[in-house]
Amino acid sequence: MSDVPAIEVLDLQKSFGENHAVQGVSFDVKQGEIFSLLGPNGAGKTTTISMLSCLLRPNNGDARVMGHSIRSDSTGVKSVLGVVPQDIALYEDLTARENLSFWGKMYGLRGSKLKLRVDEVLDVIGLRDRANERVGKYSGGMKRRVNIGVALLHKPKVIYMDEPTVGIDPQSRRNILDSVVKLKDEGMTVLYTTHYMEEAQELSDHIGIMDHGKLIACGTGEELVKLVGQQTRIDLTLNGDGSNVMQMWQAIDGVSRVSAEDGLVSVLVADSNLVLPHLFEAAAQLSIRITSVDIREPNLEAVFLHLTGRALRD
Amino acid sequence: MKVFDIALKDLTRSFRSTFAVVFMLGVPLLVTGMFYFMFGNIASEGGFSLPKTKVVIANLDEGGPKFQVNPKNIPGGKKADTMGDLIVSILQSEDMADLIEVALVTSAESARTAVDSQNAQVAIIIPANFSHQFADVDGEAVIEFYQDPTLTIGPAIMRAILNRFMDGMAGVKIAVNVFLDEADSSKYVFAGQVVQLYLKDSLAESDDPAEELLDVRTPANGQNNEAEESQNLMLNIIGSIMGGMMVFYAYFTGASTAQSILREEEEHTLPRLFTTPTSQATILTGKFLSVFMTVFVQVIVLLIAARLIFGIQWGGILSVALMAAGIIFSASSFGIFLNSFLKNSKQGGVLFGGGLTVTGMMGMIKIFAMNSAIANKMGDTISLLVPQGWAIRGLMQSMNGEPTVSVLITLLASLVWSVTFFVIGVWRFNRRYV
Ligand SMILES: Nc1ncnc2c1ncn2[C@@H]1O[C@H](COP(=O)(O)OP(=O)(O)OP(=O)(O)O)[C@@H](O)[C@H]1O
Ligand SMILES: [Mg+2]
Repeated sequence: MSDVPAIEVLDLQKSFGENHAVQGVSFDVKQGEIFSLLGPNGAGKTTTISMLSCLLRPNNGDARVMGHSIRSDSTGVKSVLGVVPQDIALYEDLTARENLSFWGKMYGLRGSKLKLRVDEVLDVIGLRDRANERVGKYSGGMKRRVNIGVALLHKPKVIYMDEPTVGIDPQSRRNILDSVVKLKDEGMTVLYTTHYMEEAQELSDHIGIMDHGKLIACGTGEELVKLVGQQTRIDLTLNGDGSNVMQMWQAIDGVSRVSAEDGLVSVLVADSNLVLPHLFEAAAQLSIRITSVDIREPNLEAVFLHLTGRALRD
Repeated sequence: MKVFDIALKDLTRSFRSTFAVVFMLGVPLLVTGMFYFMFGNIASEGGFSLPKTKVVIANLDEGGPKFQVNPKNIPGGKKADTMGDLIVSILQSEDMADLIEVALVTSAESARTAVDSQNAQVAIIIPANFSHQFADVDGEAVIEFYQDPTLTIGPAIMRAILNRFMDGMAGVKIAVNVFLDEADSSKYVFAGQVVQLYLKDSLAESDDPAEELLDVRTPANGQNNEAEESQNLMLNIIGSIMGGMMVFYAYFTGASTAQSILREEEEHTLPRLFTTPTSQATILTGKFLSVFMTVFVQVIVLLIAARLIFGIQWGGILSVALMAAGIIFSASSFGIFLNSFLKNSKQGGVLFGGGLTVTGMMGMIKIFAMNSAIANKMGDTISLLVPQGWAIRGLMQSMNGEPTVSVLITLLASLVWSVTFFVIGVWRFNRRYV
């Protein structure tokens, strides 16, 4: 049983009129792993999650969640699934305890079992001492935590978290990321979406990069970074016209690509230690001053840039 | 089970919202309370006073038969040479002073102008031939009654006073006519004696005409206790106002609670419900049930509160149950129906401002019309075009102590409305969320 993928996605497609939001996405999520969908705004992450939680019907393709087809067995899918929606979905005029209690009932929990789970979840999200306050009075971070708590009540095998850390303070964010790892340790499978590449890199066993409705790359963090050939990116700001110096840099040994965007020049290199002095030399020859240098070891940002020619945060 | 969980959650939310509770319970009770205090306070005084009705009288009566009425028997002890004088004296008497404020004018025209310019609520014009007609066997003595059409209570009281007087006089007239048939027709003096007899026997014995005259309706439970009877008109007025408010705001509650379906869609909790292992049928049924339950609680609380605070008699227990059911079912289903046509809750303003207010006013037209016969008849037809009209009809029937069968028939009509609205609303919502 544990060989069967927790989530199997097969050529999912969804269009809203002329807007092809998801265009044939396929990937597998193994049981007990954290899989992140990384992509900019409008990439199609939420649309994919909505189809995988049976909220939207795909135009084409299918998916299985713990063996249940989203097309033909939505009840089966929903019973193994906890969903943390991107938008906070709670009753603000009810307290955290009342919210958890209500949603627990919707997942079929009752009586003392329900009460126990509500208390446990309140501990997990660290809100037990403020459980009897109305959610409307909570801070954004606290609401996010309750929003996650709701999806944990029935101990689902699979949990979807759609950008659970958007718009909150660093402390709450840390808290949430830690709890995601704990969920994995407890054996849950997590499908996580984000447009923060650090989050994806830190959390995930596997990462799928989405853009314009397509899955453009998929693999472990390391595998993806290899796509850009382990290259380091050096970002530089220049005072003066950089076009001549860029030509000189391109000719330097070990430099694979030089590009400029918004006054920032990016140089992809194999080893920054070797190349950096030559960059300064060339600039000095042309009397151009380098006013800032930023060295970026290979990361998913670079992968995205490499694959799409755009920065992730466009 | 989940159905009730959803409905109870909504009920909790409704009654936790101050705004909602104010509109559900506060406003209807407050408005009624306002009228209650305008009309006086039974609890502290044991009686009540209506605002005085301003009456202008143009007494043009030129006289006819000679009157020999002992001034002692005429209220106020004034001299009365004509029937017109007699009426003026009675209306000016101290007994009437609590109810009306009389001003005299010399022409019919200026009497009407006083009403038109809202200086008076009622004009009474006693024609020149009034006494003559009264004494004439075939004659018809007619008083012109001119009122501000926008007012109801003051003119109604005035009319009651006059009717009572004219009824009494009709009896006198018969006696006079019988007498004139037998005696010498020139001896009008006797006519005066008969009038005197009438005044002595009937009018003078009543020491509080207000109490007697205002007993327009019989109490629903047929009690004859005098003290209670004296409050009947007021309770009827307050009862109608309270009933009208209750129906209007029950519909308001129905619509705003049903709107929580749209609001849950916007608050993202509805999609989240759809991600739980709960069927769409269960979720929607729970939402619909919450509308019925919220209106149910509202109507029951209002019925009991109005009974306890204002002493309103809603009628027999069975009739009240039937009419309450009519209000609850029609208000809830109408709310579901209306909301099923909205794209989002922002369009709710149109719903409340337009649909609910207009239909609500149409349904309540009978309450505004109160004692005006034409408006009443017209109101009957118009109000029954909207479900609120049927809800109010049941309420009035129960309050007036009409047979339970009549209330039941009205309830059935309300249920026809309700089922129609409910089926359309449910169908539209179901289609929306497949
Ligand atoms: N209900 C809808 N109707 C029409 N278009 C939609 C709908 N939902 C999403 N879209 C469109 O589909 C595309 C993908 O949207 P989606 O919400 O899946 O992106 P996302 O990756 O979740 O972005 P974000 O990071 O901003 O949440 C967008 O162009 C969006 O405008
Ligand atoms: Mg999204």
